[in-house]
Amino acid sequence: MDAAILLRGVRKTFGSTAAVRDLDLIVPRGALYGFIGPNGAGKTTSIRMIMSILFPDAGELSVLGHRSALEAKDRIGYLPEERGVYRKMRVGAFLTFMGHLKGLHKADLPQRVQRALERVGLAGTERKRCEELSKGMLQKVQFVAAILHEPDLLILDEPFSGLDPVSTRQLRDLILAEHRRGATILFSTHVMTQAEEMCQHVVMIHRGRKVLDEDITAIRRQYDPRAIRFEPLDPGADPTVLRSLAEVERIDRIDGSYEIHLVAGTDPGSAMQRITMAIAPARIELSRPRLEDVFIGIVADEAGAGESAQQLRADLRDLGASGATA
Amino acid sequence: MRKVGHIALREFAATVGTKGFLIGLLLMPAVITVMAIASPRLFNQRNFRVQGQLAIVDPTGAVTSELRTAVDPATITARRQEETRRLLAAAPSAVREMAQAAPANASQGTEIVLGPVPNLTVVARPPDADVQREKEWLTQEAQDEARHLALVVIHPDAVVPANGGATYGTYDLYVPSGLDDRIENVVQQSLRDAIVAARTRAEKLDRERIDALIRVDRVRSVMVTKGAERQTVGAFNRLLPFVFAGLMVFGILIGGQSLMTSTIEEKSSRVVEVLLSAVSPMELMAGKILGQMGVSLVVLGLYLAMGIAALLSFALLGLLDPWLLFYLTIFFVIAYVVNASLMVAVGAAVNEMKEAQSLMMPIMLTLMAPWILAQPIGRDPNSTFSTVISFIPPVNTFTMLIRMTSITPPPLWQVWLSIGIGVASAFAAIWFAAKVFRIGLLMYGKPPDFATLIRWARAA
Repeated sequence: MDAAILLRGVRKTFGSTAAVRDLDLIVPRGALYGFIGPNGAGKTTSIRMIMSILFPDAGELSVLGHRSALEAKDRIGYLPEERGVYRKMRVGAFLTFMGHLKGLHKADLPQRVQRALERVGLAGTERKRCEELSKGMLQKVQFVAAILHEPDLLILDEPFSGLDPVSTRQLRDLILAEHRRGATILFSTHVMTQAEEMCQHVVMIHRGRKVLDEDITAIRRQYDPRAIRFEPLDPGADPTVLRSLAEVERIDRIDGSYEIHLVAGTDPGSAMQRITMAIAPARIELSRPRLEDVFIGIVADEAGAGESAQQLRADLRDLGASGATA
Repeated sequence: MRKVGHIALREFAATVGTKGFLIGLLLMPAVITVMAIASPRLFNQRNFRVQGQLAIVDPTGAVTSELRTAVDPATITARRQEETRRLLAAAPSAVREMAQAAPANASQGTEIVLGPVPNLTVVARPPDADVQREKEWLTQEAQDEARHLALVVIHPDAVVPANGGATYGTYDLYVPSGLDDRIENVVQQSLRDAIVAARTRAEKLDRERIDALIRVDRVRSVMVTKGAERQTVGAFNRLLPFVFAGLMVFGILIGGQSLMTSTIEEKSSRVVEVLLSAVSPMELMAGKILGQMGVSLVVLGLYLAMGIAALLSFALLGLLDPWLLFYLTIFFVIAYVVNASLMVAVGAAVNEMKEAQSLMMPIMLTLMAPWILAQPIGRDPNSTFSTVISFIPPVNTFTMLIRMTSITPPPLWQVWLSIGIGVASAFAAIWFAAKVFRIGLLMYGKPPDFATLIRWARAA
């Protein structure tokens, strides 16, 4: 396989803390990979090792066919989690400087900068100082700095943190446009729904260890939750009639609708038929497995008594909320 | 290398384009100019006039009249003019020409420098007066010309030795509390002149002839080199080590401080990781050091140009060996790289300026060393101490330059050995800084101590 990123048995420790443990990862060229996990899972450390900003204590690493990203930096775009700008510098000068560092020629840089700024909706900001821009605008400028040289590999560490919903959508479209252009994209996030919406493939990491490395479609197949989301036509309908069905294991009420968990080995199609016959539905659908559920399922299984599923879910929701509003 | 150049260029432009840099650059020449203009006014003697009465108890009967002559305004003016003439004889020709071209006449010029001619009145007390009672005279209040300045009691053997011996007596001097040093100096000098005059008269000698016999004007030495001769200036030779050491320290401080500040800013604003996505830590550090070296060289070049212009205007340029400028540049680059590497490492290791202070202490101490060492080394540039210390980094660059600017410079092999040691120390400093820089840039939280820095250097 022609891999854009290849990690084998990579390990990194800080003092007595193992930030990344024996990580194996293959990101094929042209893929869109999500690198997910809660804060402190080891995502940023892994990305910094891929970028040769940190160096692993053990293991092998290859980026775009080179043993170190230092040899291919001009072909890599990187938006770090801890991102900043020269606040006193003008936007155009900052992007020109970054373009120079990425090996772009002086002659076509002004046009490139202008085009890129127009593309992210920041036309006419070249002469503004970076400190005059809002946080969302600055994030776009930083994204432009990462893609100005049309990289073959784009690595984005928590690209959506701190953005409002409109800016999040804009940035998501820009990332997808880069993917359509042909760039390999690896982006990390602790907001699992974002990865779910955008990625073809996700790699989950927890406490420095990889816990999942799968295609989204395969995950959905593999982690079928055997649940049906059901909303009765009559909100006052009695659900106890459903509990008597042989296919039904348990019913949870969620915001005026019901999540009906099926007995193992049940055919969802026939179960849906029997449910609609028992109570007229306003809406009935198979509940799709969410990455959050998958993650919690895996981690709770691995951790055993050490980490409860409820606690993990609460932690992830807190992180998701802070990530969306920060 | 192109990336290093871009980083250096940005670093240079970001520093020299600030108002702070321009103010800092112009500050030293401005301070020197202000001092040059203001110091004659600040320290001028024109508002201070030595005036009042001197009481004298003179059992010899020979000193009182001589003292009256010595404090006579005409005598004092003549004495001052003679001193000025001797000083000018040893000064560079440009200074002599300036003095001759001055619009004021000689006595006016002397008054500007030394203050108005003293106005002293000698009050003779009886030769057998009770000294204890006479002392009370000093405590009596009086103003201006009547002010009681001093009581002089001449020893009986001050003019003629007692019992035909060879040892002369002297005098006792009593003054009121709070008497200005300048008044006492005038009194003591006048008394010395008066007693010497009385003694020569007693011996029936010709005072003017003796003065002429003992007077030998100090002249400027002429330095002879192959195919050329030039006059030396003592003050210039004494000043040169300080000037060169000062230029180096000032240049390093300007570049090094900017380097450390910009590194801390890049770290705290989190722009550093964006940069590290495009360049390696070594390229980033090298670019920053080179950029700030450009800043330091601009400062050094500017001050050197000003110094050379000043030497040209005083026709003293011939005193400066052009090779010294060559070696100044070499030693400056070495000293800059050593100190700047350590400063950039400190900048990368800390989170804010105040955390850098404790780590900066040893660097500042080495930069202070030239001021402490300039005098002992300049006085004895080839002593064992001077020789040994000019091979010990990081002060070897400063100390060797001080030795080279002295009157007896060291042999050339010692100079190049010191350069070799300096280059090796520069590489060692870069090695250490690169290790600390790489780890420190992404480390936040508790600032490290020296032990941690050394651990980082060994671990990286």
